[in-house]
Amino acid sequence: MPPDRTAHGSAARFVAVLIVVGAFYVLCFYFAEIDLRRLWQGLPRLGQWALRAWPPNFADLSTLLVRAAETVAMATLGTTLGAVIAVPLCLMAARNIAPSAVLRLPARWLLNILRGIDSFVFALLFVAAVGLGPFAGVLGVGVHAAGSIAKLWAENIETVEPGPIEAAVMTGAGRLKVVIYALLPDVLPSLTSIALYIWEFNVRASTVLGIVGAGGIGQELKSAIDLLDFSRVFAILLIILVMVTIIDQVSASVRARLT
Amino acid sequence: MSPGVDIRGLRKSYGARRVFDGFSLSVEPGQFVALLGPSGAGKTTLLRCIARLTDPDGGEIFAAGHPMHLLHGRALRQARCDIGFVFQQFNLVRRRSAVGNVLAGGLAATPLWRVVTGRYGEADRRSALAALDRVGLKDYAAQRADRLSGGQQQRVAIARALVQKSRVLLADEPVASLDPDAAESILSLLRDIVREHRLTVLCSLHQPLLAHRFADTTCLLEGPGPRLPSQGFAIDAVDATAAPSAP
Repeated sequence: MPPDRTAHGSAARFVAVLIVVGAFYVLCFYFAEIDLRRLWQGLPRLGQWALRAWPPNFADLSTLLVRAAETVAMATLGTTLGAVIAVPLCLMAARNIAPSAVLRLPARWLLNILRGIDSFVFALLFVAAVGLGPFAGVLGVGVHAAGSIAKLWAENIETVEPGPIEAAVMTGAGRLKVVIYALLPDVLPSLTSIALYIWEFNVRASTVLGIVGAGGIGQELKSAIDLLDFSRVFAILLIILVMVTIIDQVSASVRARLT
Repeated sequence: MSPGVDIRGLRKSYGARRVFDGFSLSVEPGQFVALLGPSGAGKTTLLRCIARLTDPDGGEIFAAGHPMHLLHGRALRQARCDIGFVFQQFNLVRRRSAVGNVLAGGLAATPLWRVVTGRYGEADRRSALAALDRVGLKDYAAQRADRLSGGQQQRVAIARALVQKSRVLLADEPVASLDPDAAESILSLLRDIVREHRLTVLCSLHQPLLAHRFADTTCLLEGPGPRLPSQGFAIDAVDATAAPSAP
């Protein structure tokens, strides 16, 4: 009977999916070299460090705060740079307003490449190109953020209703005027919200850029860990936590007001 | 070339669905022609083909003296300056004020920096306000478009077409989203303005009664859908041969 057969078929499919997913996990465990014994042996060491980390060592606080400011500055300027690059990129990539498919596909590829490579990797390259320091971080964050922002912006622009754009087209105005007049007022709040969200994300991502020599609080974090100076590590983590929380709160409250 | 609308042998299909196959229609300048027909008959497609918001598959389209079927890029944009379009859903920019939407009528001639900064010239502002006054919305100039009622939004759209100084006005179901009273007042406003400015109008409607009251002539598109029920008055077709039913 048909109902039985479908039930039977779906049960068989369920088992097959279960086996495939199970096999995938077994492979992942193998490649990730999961070894619970090592975790068990390492735990006391972590505990000792945690004990030694108390109280947090805020000596030389001014250096840490300067580094934290560097991190926020890298994320802010990097996101801004990304947004500037994203403007032409998203206009070429959004299906409903792209001038032609000839431009749209390469624009899509470019932003997928930029988005696909992490800002950490870009920062590594820029450190090699322009030298150590936060400037390399700004460039790394900016290039990656350009891809992320352009993709999210283009997707947002694609959901816009076509009507007002058609109405503006019928006035005989050129593409740029149509975009600025009819599209921008509609999407500006959500585009701003997206840029702020990426900024938030970049502040968190920038905390580790110091590890590759691209400046910021990550640099202090790395040297403190290298020196096994755990009370300083603790202090740095607290500063990161406070910084990220403040940025998230600011960004969230601005975004709540936008929509 | 006459400044009215001339369509010769229009062809348009969506995939296997043939909407027009050698459709011709001639509208004299200054005429108000209502397009009637069941949904799916191609009223919207016809208007969009004339405006080139949709590309026809073949045939010739002349509107306000422009060979629309031949134009691209800048030439098409210039031709569109002479063609106003009023949409069923009004299509105003929601976050702009009523007068901000009317100002779009002059967008083609407005310098880019004025569009960016929103600082329109004194003359543009005055003509936009005059157009709003003409459609009876002077007191709503600063109101955001999405705070206006449907009828008011359609008046703003008509004012936008006025500012554009278009010679041909295409209206795609301009009153289908409005209540009967608003529909009446919008159509009579449209008719009065058309007479004042000697515009040529093609206006799709789905109510034969309204078409009969407000239009000079009506054109019936039959299309693949069911035929219109007889309405007890003559519908005078204007040199129109509608598409045959899809095979």
